[in-house]
Amino acid sequence: MSALIEKLLPEADVSDDGSFGALRRKAQKVLMQHGFPQRKTENWKYLPLGLLEKRTFSTAGPLTGPVPAPPEFPFETGIVHMHNGLLDPQRCRLPRGVAITGMLPSDIDASKLDDTSPADAFAWLNLARFDQGWKLRVEGRVEQPLAIVTSCDEDFEAAIHPRLKVELAEGAALTLLEVQHSEAAGLINGVLDLELAPKSSLVHLIDRSFGETALIQRTTARVSDAAEYRAFVLDGGGRLTRQDLMAELDAAGASASISGVAALGGRALVDYHTAIEHLLGRTSSRENFRILADDQAVGVFNGRIHIVPGADDSHSEMNTGNLLLSEDARINTKPELEIHAEDVTASHGATIGQLDDDARFYLRSRGLTDGQAIALLKYGFAAAVFDGMDAGALKEWMLERLEACL
Amino acid sequence: MLNIKNLHVAVGGEEIIKGLDLEVGSGELHAVMGPNGSGKSTLGYALAGRDGYEVTDGSVEFDGANLLDLEVEERATAGLFLALQYPVEIPGVNNAYFLRAALNAQRKAKGEEEVDSMGFLKTVREHLKALNMDEALLKRAVNEGFSGGEKKRNEIVQMAVLQPKLAILDETDSGLDIDALKLVAEGVNRLRDENRSFIVITHYQRLLEYLVPDRVHVLSDGRIAESGDRSLAHRLEREGYAFLDTAEA
Ligand SMILES: Nc1ncnc2c1ncn2[C@@H]1O[C@H](COP(=O)(O)OP(=O)(O)OP(=O)(O)O)[C@@H](O)[C@H]1O
Ligand SMILES: [Mg+2]
Repeated sequence: MSALIEKLLPEADVSDDGSFGALRRKAQKVLMQHGFPQRKTENWKYLPLGLLEKRTFSTAGPLTGPVPAPPEFPFETGIVHMHNGLLDPQRCRLPRGVAITGMLPSDIDASKLDDTSPADAFAWLNLARFDQGWKLRVEGRVEQPLAIVTSCDEDFEAAIHPRLKVELAEGAALTLLEVQHSEAAGLINGVLDLELAPKSSLVHLIDRSFGETALIQRTTARVSDAAEYRAFVLDGGGRLTRQDLMAELDAAGASASISGVAALGGRALVDYHTAIEHLLGRTSSRENFRILADDQAVGVFNGRIHIVPGADDSHSEMNTGNLLLSEDARINTKPELEIHAEDVTASHGATIGQLDDDARFYLRSRGLTDGQAIALLKYGFAAAVFDGMDAGALKEWMLERLEACL
Repeated sequence: MLNIKNLHVAVGGEEIIKGLDLEVGSGELHAVMGPNGSGKSTLGYALAGRDGYEVTDGSVEFDGANLLDLEVEERATAGLFLALQYPVEIPGVNNAYFLRAALNAQRKAKGEEEVDSMGFLKTVREHLKALNMDEALLKRAVNEGFSGGEKKRNEIVQMAVLQPKLAILDETDSGLDIDALKLVAEGVNRLRDENRSFIVITHYQRLLEYLVPDRVHVLSDGRIAESGDRSLAHRLEREGYAFLDTAEA
C-alpha cells in the first residue's frame, strides 16, 4: 500500500514544530516501516482502502472563507465547531464546567498503539499529521450537553487529522454529542481520547452521516473506578466509514455500554469495530448494535469483549441484530468473546433477518401504505437500541434523527 | 355491501377456495363456520388482499367498488377490516402510535384531517376500558408479549378505532374467557348499525348467542356447503359437520 503512503504522507519530512517532534518522528517511522492495512491485515479485511488510493488529497489550508453555521438543536447546548478539521473560534460556546486548551505532548499516550504491524496505521498517521489537537477538561456535573460539530466545505478534498481529548475530573458528568455530516470527497482521520476519572460519567452520542467523505475514527474511553461510559451511535451511512470504539475498564466498578444503529443505503460502507476490555474484576459492559442495510450497502460490526485473567466477577452482554433490506446489501457481524477470568457472565445473542411479511401485511391491512409499513418496521427494529437513553429532549432528538435516516 | 361471485383462491399453487358465492347486505351480520382447513381464514386473507392469496377466478364487489383491484391499504381505507385469527407481534412499534398512524393514514387517504393526539388518546382509552383492557397495553409494542386473549381484544380495539364498513372477525372468540367473550360481543354490538356489516368466523355457537346472526354459512372444502338462519349453528353444535359428507355423497 505504498500508493497510500505517498498520498497521505507526501514528504518524508516531519515538520518539527518543537514539542510533538519526537512523537511525529516515531509515527512516521512506523508508517514507513509497516505501511497501511491491507485486506489480509487482521480486522481490516472488509474495508476497501483502495478507494482512498484512487483519490487525490489536497493539503488543508487555514479557514479563510465564511464558515457555515453549525446545525440548530432543539435544546440548549454548548458547541465546538470543527470546520475542515479546524476549530472555528467564533462559534465556540462552552457550557459551564468545560474548558478548552491546546493539546500537550503529555496528553498523548502512544504506548498502546501497535508499532509492529499496519493495524494502527491510521492512528499513527493522525499522530504524524495532526494540525490542531484540543483538550476539553470537564469539572463537576455539566447540565448542558456539548456538541462537537464536524463539517466540511462542499468542495473539500483534503485529508485532515483532527485530534481531541476529553478529560472528566473525578465526579464530573457530561453529555457529549458528536455531530458529523459532510459530503465532499475528503478524508477525516480522527482520534478521540476520553478519560473518565473515578465516579465520573459520560454519555457519548454520535450522529453521523457522510456522502463521499471517508471517515476513519478511533475512539478510546478509559474508564476508571465507579465511572460510567455510555455511547449511543446513529450512523446514517457514508462511502467509507470506519469507527474503532474501545472502552478500557481500568478499575473495579467501571462500566461501559455501546449501543448503535447503522441505517445504510446506496453504496454506503460502514465498519464498526468495538472492543471492551475488562482489565479488572467487578466491571460490567453491554453492547447492542443493529445494522439495517438496503441497496448495495455493506455494514460490518465486530464486537470484541475481552475479560482478562483475574478480572473475576465481571459481566458483559452483547446483542446484535441485522436487517437485510435488499438482495445486494451485505452485513457482516462478528462477536468475539474472549474470557479468561472466573465467575464471569458473558452472553451474546444475534439475529439476522429480513422484514417480516406478516407484520408488513398486518400494518397495511390497517391502512398504512407499504412505504409507511416498511418505515415503521425498520424504526421498530432500530429504536429499541436507544431504550437505554434517559427520557428527555436528547432522546427524542435522537429518535427523530433515526426516523429521518430510515 | 359485499357481493362475492364464484371466487377461486389459490395458495402456493393449490386451490383452496373453489367457487364461493356470498352476499352480505348493509347492516347484516353473517356467521361463517366450517371444519378446520376448510378455507375460512383463506377467504379473509383473500378479501384483505394478502400477497400469496391469488384470486384465480370470480369477482368481489365491495361498497360499489371492485375490491380485487385495490391494494391492501386501499381496501382498509375503503372500509374493510380483518381481525386476524393470529394477530401479529410487532416489536419496537408502540401500540398507541400504531393505532393513531393507521387511523391517520386512512383519514389522509380520504382527504380528511388528522386526529389530534389528545382527543385520540381519550377515545382509545374508552375503548380499552369497555373491553376491560389495561391501559398499559397502549404503551407496549403492538401485541408483543400480549396474552392470547389480549391480542384478540386488541383487534377489537383497532376495529373500534377504525370504524370499518365491513369487519371480518376470524375466530376472534377463540381463546377468550367467558367474560372477555361477552365484552368482545358487546364491542361488536355497539358498532352494529344499518350501514355496517360483519362476517364472523367462528367454531362456536356460543358467540352467536350474543351476536345474533342474520345468516349462518358452512364452509367446506372451499365452498359454501350450507346456509341457513341461526338454527343452523345449533344443529352444527349438536351434530358436528358429519352431515356434510352425507349431503355431498
Ligand atoms: N401457504 C399455504 N400453502 C399451502 N397450503 C396452505 C397455505 N395456507 C393455507 N393452506 C391450506 O389451505 C387450507 C385452508 O386453510 P385455512 O387457514 O383457510 O383454514 P381455516 O378454515 O381457517 O381453518 P381453521 O379452522 O383451522 O382456522 C388448509 O388446508 C391449509 O393447509
Ligand atoms: Mg382459520
